[in-house]
Amino acid sequence: MVSKVVCYALNGLDGVPVEVETDVNRGIPAYEMVGLPDTAVKESKERVRSALKNSGLLFPMNKITINFAPADIRKEGASFDLAVAVSLLKASEQLVGADTDGIVFLGELALSGAIRPIAGLLPILISAKSHGFSRFIVPAENAREASFLGGAEICPASTLSEVVRHLKGISPIAPVAAQKFVPHPSRKGGADLKYVKGQPVARRALEIAVAGGHNLLLVGPPGTGKTMLARCLPTVMPDLTFEEALEITKIHSVAGTLGEEGIVTERPFRTPHHTATVVALCGGGNRAVRPGEISLAHGGVLFLDELPEYHRSALEALRQPLEDGRITVSRASGTVSFPARFMLCASMNPCPCGNYGSADRVCTCTPAEIRRYRRKISGPLLDRIDLQVEVDNVAYDDLASAAASESSAAVKERVDMARRIQRSRFEGSAVSVNAGMGERELEAFCPLGRESDAILREAFERMQLSARARSRIVKVARTIADLAASEEILPAHVFEAVSYRLYDKM
Amino acid sequence: MEYSAAEKAIIWLCSRPEFDSRTRAALLRASGDPARIFSDFEKICSQVIHPPQNGLYKGDRSSRGREAENLVAALREKGYFAVTAASADYPAALGHVYDPPLVLYGAGNRALLAERKFCVVGSRVLPPWAEKTGRSISEALTQRFAVVTGFADGGDSAAIAGALPSGKLICVLPNGLDVCYPASHAQLRRDVAKKGLLLTEYPPATGVQKYSFHARNRLLAGLSEGVLVLAAGRKSGTLITADCALEYGREVFALPHNVGAAQGVGCNELIKKGAYLCTDAEDIFAAFGMQAPARRAPVLSDGETRVLSVLRETGELHAAVVAERAGMSVCEVQAYLSSLELKGLAVRSGGNRYAPL
Repeated sequence: MVSKVVCYALNGLDGVPVEVETDVNRGIPAYEMVGLPDTAVKESKERVRSALKNSGLLFPMNKITINFAPADIRKEGASFDLAVAVSLLKASEQLVGADTDGIVFLGELALSGAIRPIAGLLPILISAKSHGFSRFIVPAENAREASFLGGAEICPASTLSEVVRHLKGISPIAPVAAQKFVPHPSRKGGADLKYVKGQPVARRALEIAVAGGHNLLLVGPPGTGKTMLARCLPTVMPDLTFEEALEITKIHSVAGTLGEEGIVTERPFRTPHHTATVVALCGGGNRAVRPGEISLAHGGVLFLDELPEYHRSALEALRQPLEDGRITVSRASGTVSFPARFMLCASMNPCPCGNYGSADRVCTCTPAEIRRYRRKISGPLLDRIDLQVEVDNVAYDDLASAAASESSAAVKERVDMARRIQRSRFEGSAVSVNAGMGERELEAFCPLGRESDAILREAFERMQLSARARSRIVKVARTIADLAASEEILPAHVFEAVSYRLYDKM
Repeated sequence: MEYSAAEKAIIWLCSRPEFDSRTRAALLRASGDPARIFSDFEKICSQVIHPPQNGLYKGDRSSRGREAENLVAALREKGYFAVTAASADYPAALGHVYDPPLVLYGAGNRALLAERKFCVVGSRVLPPWAEKTGRSISEALTQRFAVVTGFADGGDSAAIAGALPSGKLICVLPNGLDVCYPASHAQLRRDVAKKGLLLTEYPPATGVQKYSFHARNRLLAGLSEGVLVLAAGRKSGTLITADCALEYGREVFALPHNVGAAQGVGCNELIKKGAYLCTDAEDIFAAFGMQAPARRAPVLSDGETRVLSVLRETGELHAAVVAERAGMSVCEVQAYLSSLELKGLAVRSGGNRYAPL
């Protein structure tokens, strides 16, 4: 008898339906798997055999053929185990009367018959739902992740025998209740701007960067708090919407980095080490294409500490995703596109010894050394970083009367206000923040007064700015005006924006 | 341009590696008329070189003439020119210099040699305010002088940046004209040769030697009527230029630096020893009894005036401290500071600190 059961394979962030067909024939006992299964899928034979035995079920001593259809895509990983086991039970007539039509089976089997969680469940569920499936059996440990889908009957099972009893109607499993998404109220990292003492200039730049979605470069001697400032970035970013959270969760689910909560509730903050390769940053892998750090930072912050230490090739690879917000990775196994709309925050020292421009310490670098150090960051990459700001050692006495630092929550309120202005401005267009404006939007939304234009012209000539740097300054000035709730871009806004172009003369 | 026989003879003499510079000078003196070098070279040699060395130069009269023509043709092909001790526009001021060069090779605007000249130098690493000040001083100096400087980073670059737009700039190199040192200044070298003047005592293709910087410094001082030192550490090479200037009777000026600032110890020492203290170009004009050219006062807003007066009260300040003292928010102050920077009245000196100019 031939049975048919549905499960799903992953291709990038999309689920692809796979039918598991099993035929049990009389003949010399054998177990044959066809349909391009990889090693992990082939090994399911042993897992399935033991799981059946330890669940009090029978592994048929016949000639068994299992086919994965469609046969032309590669099947990888252990998430097909449950579907293979159910299909085998059905073919060997151990599930008589059970209704398996239209159910998607997902899960890896342990030898004991327990069901283990799988990576990438949420993207599979979302794809399957759009393909018209509405009934699922998923590993119990993935239940929380699955519960955010809504509008489907999702039954969490922790053992194979539970699945059998459920299918036979002996003791049905209660479907998971759909959960409402709540953005994380208290941040896990514990970072907060109120712990950052001093640094008024850098704090201001950080606020502007988040408000307009601009990229940020922090320059300063070691130990001045660049990393601490960067860690505060997610705390002032707007709360995640459910759609954003789902998209981010999909990526993290595929990468297998999803936490216990089952859904991403706060904006990611990724800090890849400076030894990271192009593949680690952009995604890839020799078999399945996995998302890289820039995709894991989607919707959040990618923090590159000590920017000049990264491989040149890795940094140059960031240029295209920084513009497009997506990365397309091509491998022998196929071409996959991952979202990668992140905010880039980088930090670096002003020179190899770190003391260049310091008030009390002497820089021992030669001009050639400093030039070589800064040249590691290419002009085109630097051009894409709108705000370049110094983080400095402020003597505490200098700021004797400075009150306690403002908390992240207070800054976030202003950021939210500026974002609201931008949302209504870009209503109905693909642009969502000031940093994303193209030439057309610049013309429409950023008219400069005669005075402001004169300032820019002077800055352009004095600082020998590139055309791209000019439009970046205008965008930052637009954000500064938004933060001040000003309809018009005033000269003061342009001047302030110019003051954040530290390295145009580099 | 055409070279006279005397000029060609000197160019030829300086191209011969057999003679050192002192022997060349003696040969030239003994010849009386430089053109005689072509006809009676063996005789002149026997007068000068004791004991006589046979076979020091193996050519004859016609080969000397041919070699000289080749040298001149090679210079012309590269667009260079040679100013010799026999040329009308040879800088007379070099007469004071130890071991004056018989030939100066040049590329660019030869007419600058006739201008009054003033030298601006500084060490390769100098504080941003000193760089900006040096730049504005050399810009102002071009109204009365051609600015003479070297070709390195830091102080030299500041002087070049200030003087290049007006074209009144002479860079004296420690290497041949077709060698670019530092290599990163390739574009700058082209710009200076186009608008200003590159000058060197070394024939083309001569590389940089350690000693040639010292030798070049004597020309910097020798060519100029005065020397301004922007920044100098305790053992900076720019102090050699200042020493030469004193020796040749030139005026020495120095920017005053903070007490204890390592990059300015040399300058402060010079002032202690009697150099002019210089804070802007007017100090230099005054020392030469010149009328300072009129300056246009920039128009400032109330906020800018307030920020500038806070800065001038104490000198270098952090932006946050300026904000506190001026009673403004940091973002307002940032805007005012960057407009002051664009107007050339303040300079960012690193670590979000600003200094008035």
